[in-house]
Amino acid sequence: MTSFACDKHRFHLESGVMEVSPSTVSLIREFGCEQTLLSRPDGSASFVQGDTSVMAGVYGPAEVKVSKEIYDRATLEVLVHPKVGLPGVRERSQEQCLRETCEASLLLSLHPRSSLTLILQVLHDDGSLLSCCLNAACMALMDAGLSMGRLFCGVTCAISTDGEIITDPTAAQEKESRALMTFAIDSKERRVMMSSTKGSFSVHELQQCIAVSQKASEKIFQFYRDSVRRRYSKNL
Amino acid sequence: MAAGFKTAEPLEYHRSFLKENCRPDGRELSEFRTTTLNIGSISTADGSALVKMGNTTIICGIKAELTNPTADAPGKGYIVPNVDLPPLCSSRFRPGPPGEQAQAASQFIADVIESSDLIKAEDLCVDRGKLCWVLYCDLMCLDYDGNILDACLIALLAALRNTQLPEVGINKETCLPEVDLEKRQKLHIHKHPVGASFCVFDDSILIVDPTDEEENLATAHLTVVTDEDGRLCSVHKPGGTPLSGEKLQECINRATARQREIHKLIDKVLDSVKTTQ
Amino acid sequence: MKQKKKKILQGGRGRCGCVSSCRETRCSVRMFSVLKERVGQILLPGDEFCCGPQDTLPLTDSGKPERLVAGPGLRLSGDRLLVSRSGVLRHKEPNKFWIESQQRRYVPAKGETVIGVVTAKAGDVFKVDFGGSEPASLSYLAFDGATKRNRPNVQVGDLVFAQFIVANKDMEPELVCIDGSGRANGMGVFGAGGLLIKVSLGLVRRLLVPNSELRADLQQLFPCELVVGMNGRVWVRAGTVQQTLILANLLQSCDTMTAPQRQQLFRNVWTRLHGAGLTEDPKDQLVLCGGPEPMDFLVFV
Repeated sequence: MTSFACDKHRFHLESGVMEVSPSTVSLIREFGCEQTLLSRPDGSASFVQGDTSVMAGVYGPAEVKVSKEIYDRATLEVLVHPKVGLPGVRERSQEQCLRETCEASLLLSLHPRSSLTLILQVLHDDGSLLSCCLNAACMALMDAGLSMGRLFCGVTCAISTDGEIITDPTAAQEKESRALMTFAIDSKERRVMMSSTKGSFSVHELQQCIAVSQKASEKIFQFYRDSVRRRYSKNL
Repeated sequence: MAAGFKTAEPLEYHRSFLKENCRPDGRELSEFRTTTLNIGSISTADGSALVKMGNTTIICGIKAELTNPTADAPGKGYIVPNVDLPPLCSSRFRPGPPGEQAQAASQFIADVIESSDLIKAEDLCVDRGKLCWVLYCDLMCLDYDGNILDACLIALLAALRNTQLPEVGINKETCLPEVDLEKRQKLHIHKHPVGASFCVFDDSILIVDPTDEEENLATAHLTVVTDEDGRLCSVHKPGGTPLSGEKLQECINRATARQREIHKLIDKVLDSVKTTQ
Repeated sequence: MKQKKKKILQGGRGRCGCVSSCRETRCSVRMFSVLKERVGQILLPGDEFCCGPQDTLPLTDSGKPERLVAGPGLRLSGDRLLVSRSGVLRHKEPNKFWIESQQRRYVPAKGETVIGVVTAKAGDVFKVDFGGSEPASLSYLAFDGATKRNRPNVQVGDLVFAQFIVANKDMEPELVCIDGSGRANGMGVFGAGGLLIKVSLGLVRRLLVPNSELRADLQQLFPCELVVGMNGRVWVRAGTVQQTLILANLLQSCDTMTAPQRQQLFRNVWTRLHGAGLTEDPKDQLVLCGGPEPMDFLVFV
């Protein structure tokens, strides 16, 4: 298990550069990741953000059902399993977000008429669940050795009642916040690939949250690199 | 000739139009289809509306029922939206339990209702901890030609504006609710959230109000919901190709303009309904 | 099959047809040196190298563009080289680059040899499951000495060692059990006994690399037969069932060990075996039958 703590001081210095109001609290909880921890899937990863923890497994490119076959690219299926109970409407909507984000970063045309299955099992939810799912998905896809055009990472921002932006909020912070946004940021141009929001907010707040997420994404991408390096340290 | 080209190379067909800043149906890139609204079309429902955007048709019926409030929110009623995409509206939908798209749309509508403060849940409470209203909002697609999220939101908003709840009193002796169907009161609508959907073509070209065909060929979808105060209630982009901040700003500006148009349209239709009555 | 396996195969398919993932381009000297600097480093999808003509070249340089061969995990898009897989950048003189990643799922490539299971007989062809996205077809005529009259004896459930003659994303993969001259060359149906195990594709490559350390370590233990398919399937057989199982377990654990860890483990096993008198002297050579030189998918035509 590799872990990484974002040191608060440095992050503050950096946030000064990108025109974010000083009230912004840019703190990411400690996060960790482990790849290839399951023996059956072709790629697997677990991603931990604070107490939020998600396990992801990827199967494929494998045989596809005729009804789901697409003649010029692979069919991607995403399944999200909650910690307790059966997947419901909320999970369906998360699945849609995850699937379309993964589809945009994977080079699916390299494996026509085959299927890719991504399964995410929520182990514990302590806020920022969707961003943790996105990160786990990206690490699992990388672990499976699938061809990707770019990487993505998930960042959740909460706007508290007094207008403060909190990155990577806990469940308690999410509950107190008046708006909550999750973005998937791409690794090439740091643009927004996915956005899912709750609560109402102004345009300015949205742009600020995007800027904060873009900044935080650099940390996460660096973390991706470090954990892949650790994984391959035996082969170097 | 053109029909053959369209079938064989749909993407190229659309590209050749977009190059000239127009679309196959004659619209400009930032032009919505004609939106028609009919309010109160279902007489048996407590509130209803029918929306047509081009060919896309959504009908919304609202059924109010009395129920017990949940234990964790004793002073609140609740709203249950449900989007139905039956096989009738498009050949891509099969009979059976709702598919991913229908479920995701239902979740989106529920999120917008919650985020926008469309109706204060406290207004639906009749007797704290004992009795409250639950509004079942059934949205059914009759004809699927893209952009159902926008159409659903307009239909929902118009139907809620049309909804009249009967007065409820509680009989002191029997402790049972008594519904007075003659005295009806309009729901208080606090905000008017209206959506504007966009598609991204070839990672760069933004088009507004996509048709079914355009949705299938696009690389990304985006729905921005704004209210009359210019606040954003939802920026929903389920994946797809990345979008820059400037493009996003463009979309938001278009969405605010759209909100005003639709708000005006709903007011106008409601007025005309009143005058005919 | 038995006697065919007794010789060490090498270079069975010297010049394979270039695999789709292998592309050739001209690039500036500058990019070449940038790439060379990164050899052995970890790259992630989305990383890119620019090789535009705008690269300023020092005057002393000849400025002659060099040819570059991009193997698996690297993609050419215009004048840029994009990384599409995570892993270690590897280089082979003079100009081949590829990303070495640890995959588990096999994607067929023309010319590679694999171990498959016959799953069905369908008229003139057998359907063979090799762990990919669809079963491969294997004609009954594609065996050494097979004719229309003299059909090979292949049953459903048999293991075959075969080579891809057609493998691309748009067509059904096709296997043959003969080489270019119609000889079996080690391929065909497996005999009785032995054990089939699954390992990662990275381990298979490490086993097949010329002068592989891993193979040398295995040779120290006891005589055995190994058939290595590029699809991550390894067939092992040793003198006794017990030895076969030991070998299978060792191979499967090799994936996650560094070289010193592995050697330590092998030493432990060796002393234990000798203590228990489970082995004779490893006089016989380790017999290896498998894909020839790995990474040969990088050869270009």
